[in-house]
Amino acid sequence: MYNDKNAQTIVDYIQNFTRKNSLFMLAYGTGCGAIELPATLTSRYDAERLGVRGAATPRQADLLLITGYLSTKTLKRVIRVYEQMQDPKYVIGFGSCTINGGMYWDSYNTIKLLDKYIPVDVYINGCMPRPESVISGFQELKRLIAAGKADGAKKYKENLEWYRENQKKVLKNWPLVEYNW
Amino acid sequence: MGTTYSKEEILAQQLQTAFEHLITEVVRKDTVFAFATKEQVSSILLYAKEKLGYISFVHLSCVDWLESGEFELVYIIWSPETKINLFVKTRLDRENPSMENTDMIWRQINTYQREIREMFGVEFPGFVGEKEFILEDWEDAPPMRRDFDTLEYVNDTFFEREGREDKQDVRERIAKRSGEEIPDFAKKYSRE
Amino acid sequence: MREKSTTLYLGPQHPGITGNMMVKLQLEGDTIVKATTHVGYLHRAFEKLIERRNWMQSTTILCRFCVPEPDPPEAAFALAVEQIEGREVPERGKYLRSLVLELARIQSFMLWYAGQNGSAGLYTVGQWSVGDRNYVLDLFEELTGGRIYHMYIWPGGVRRDIPEGFEDKVLHTMDYIEKRIDDYDRMMFDSAIFQKRAQGVGIISKEKAMEWGVVGAPLRGCGIGHDVRKDNPYDAYDKLDFQMGIFDGGDVWARAKVRQFEIRQSISMVRQIIQNLPKGDYLNKMPNPMKWTIPAGSAYGKVESVRGEFGFHVVSDGSDKPRRVHARGPAYAHGISLLEDILVGENLADVSFIMNSLGVCPPEIER
Repeated sequence: MYNDKNAQTIVDYIQNFTRKNSLFMLAYGTGCGAIELPATLTSRYDAERLGVRGAATPRQADLLLITGYLSTKTLKRVIRVYEQMQDPKYVIGFGSCTINGGMYWDSYNTIKLLDKYIPVDVYINGCMPRPESVISGFQELKRLIAAGKADGAKKYKENLEWYRENQKKVLKNWPLVEYNW
Repeated sequence: MGTTYSKEEILAQQLQTAFEHLITEVVRKDTVFAFATKEQVSSILLYAKEKLGYISFVHLSCVDWLESGEFELVYIIWSPETKINLFVKTRLDRENPSMENTDMIWRQINTYQREIREMFGVEFPGFVGEKEFILEDWEDAPPMRRDFDTLEYVNDTFFEREGREDKQDVRERIAKRSGEEIPDFAKKYSRE
Repeated sequence: MREKSTTLYLGPQHPGITGNMMVKLQLEGDTIVKATTHVGYLHRAFEKLIERRNWMQSTTILCRFCVPEPDPPEAAFALAVEQIEGREVPERGKYLRSLVLELARIQSFMLWYAGQNGSAGLYTVGQWSVGDRNYVLDLFEELTGGRIYHMYIWPGGVRRDIPEGFEDKVLHTMDYIEKRIDDYDRMMFDSAIFQKRAQGVGIISKEKAMEWGVVGAPLRGCGIGHDVRKDNPYDAYDKLDFQMGIFDGGDVWARAKVRQFEIRQSISMVRQIIQNLPKGDYLNKMPNPMKWTIPAGSAYGKVESVRGEFGFHVVSDGSDKPRRVHARGPAYAHGISLLEDILVGENLADVSFIMNSLGVCPPEIER
């Protein structure tokens, strides 16, 4: 490990190890997928044994779950919530409708492609995904974090203009905050 | 003498005696339609509520009849005694549609009127309620009108993921990916 | 002392809100002076999409109307279509429909146990009931193939017959759940916290209940006995023996009592259905589902869901696509005008408690 140039430094390794084992998930049900989250978090599936549990406010949360379709009205709030969250932060797109619009592909009020608006680390497909697939999505995210590849937040900072441009295409008259990170 | 009327027929007769030129129709069990003019609606609703015991307001719906250039408003009310759903239907002109405000009869109508104003553009003069209900910053035509093309709007506004084109036959691609062959009986269901 | 009023936005991102909606509160101290609801965060334009789908395709959209309880929308739509078309449902199909609807009620009641107690700070009941709810969802999975969304009730009957040995599994699960609800009740109704939080909170006055369009358990909690299953019986409900839970008071406590009574009624109904399940056909087949047309007409089909009357106004113009499908969910009356009224004078901490007891479900308000 010490001689490999591509390997993480020991500090990164420890950092990623601690991050991946305590994921605080923001309690924001943006769509119908939120109905499987109680089942995932309670006794039978018990995601808490994997270090995933709920957080009430964006500033205390690490993980934002976009549970299903996102209407343009919610997209405004989701962008706001995502920008309030502090590093490290990760996004999971939950359900088919975040991937390609799902069954709402011709609806005038839902966005079809989530990763054009906010960076997504892991997608979970299905309508709706079972708790098992939710847990496997969490595990995949943990694998990415451990490998240092869950860098959505960094991507968002670096390409903020591109994301803003896409966001403004949908949210026409909505003031979006300008940052100078 | 000797003929017994069903409860639906009795209601239809009661309405016809109270209102001139009102057309009523007993459609099926527990369902009576009344086709009213725009001006009659509020008095029919009030009469049914105060005199006939139709105290429960169920539904207010708007139907767009684009071909005949009309909007149809359907008020559904229900009586706990007779258990009949009474549909009061009225037609509005599709150009500058406006309807009398009836939210003082049942306050629930307020919510329905907000929705119909937003989704169909039907105006209710004298009606106070916040302008925005479900949509936010909407600049296009009222979206539930039939001449609003949602697919066109989607193509203009949103990004599409590749491969999401409509009515594609993806079975061959999936079969090739997993190294299988499409059975003969399945080939005849091809989309072409 | 200076009177100071605060504006507080509760939601859309708030752990106590039932779903994705916002209540704007005007507060004086901790007391609410004015409440305004803001909805529309979940608007997917279902009714527009259904106008673009044919009759059979729209059944996949219908169950997504209300997430905690996806079967009543399917049943209400099927009833409305059958009324227009005059299609008969075989006796076995009727019983199977009632079976699915009652199982859906039971799982929704268990979700309510979690929400109601979670908003009062009693998290244990929620852990239990949501965990046990998985057993009902397992039954659904075996019967229909899906845990949450079933697409099981079609116009004309149900999609498939019950698998072999299913009856025993249902009875076994019902025995287990009946035993478990006693535990929930001890934890909930015997708890001093719940008693003090629930009694005298969120009162709906009996005189105004019908006027305001209150339906379902909140209406029966005001002492007015109306239930669609009794008033306009559909499916197999005219052959089943059950009672309505009617309690006086109109507060959160009375509504909780109604639900406590009715989950037991639902379990007893499931047992009756399994015992009396008739033999025969389960689906009155429609010709070619993709070319299926319904004669012109309109109807209002309604069923009783846990939160109250769920109805569909369906209009057909004789083509292969619906002209208009308009849903009337119970939350449409409960979640907007009623909530704005009864929140006035209540404490800020009780908002999500009251919303849970009314069963406010935003997806069916904005659809």
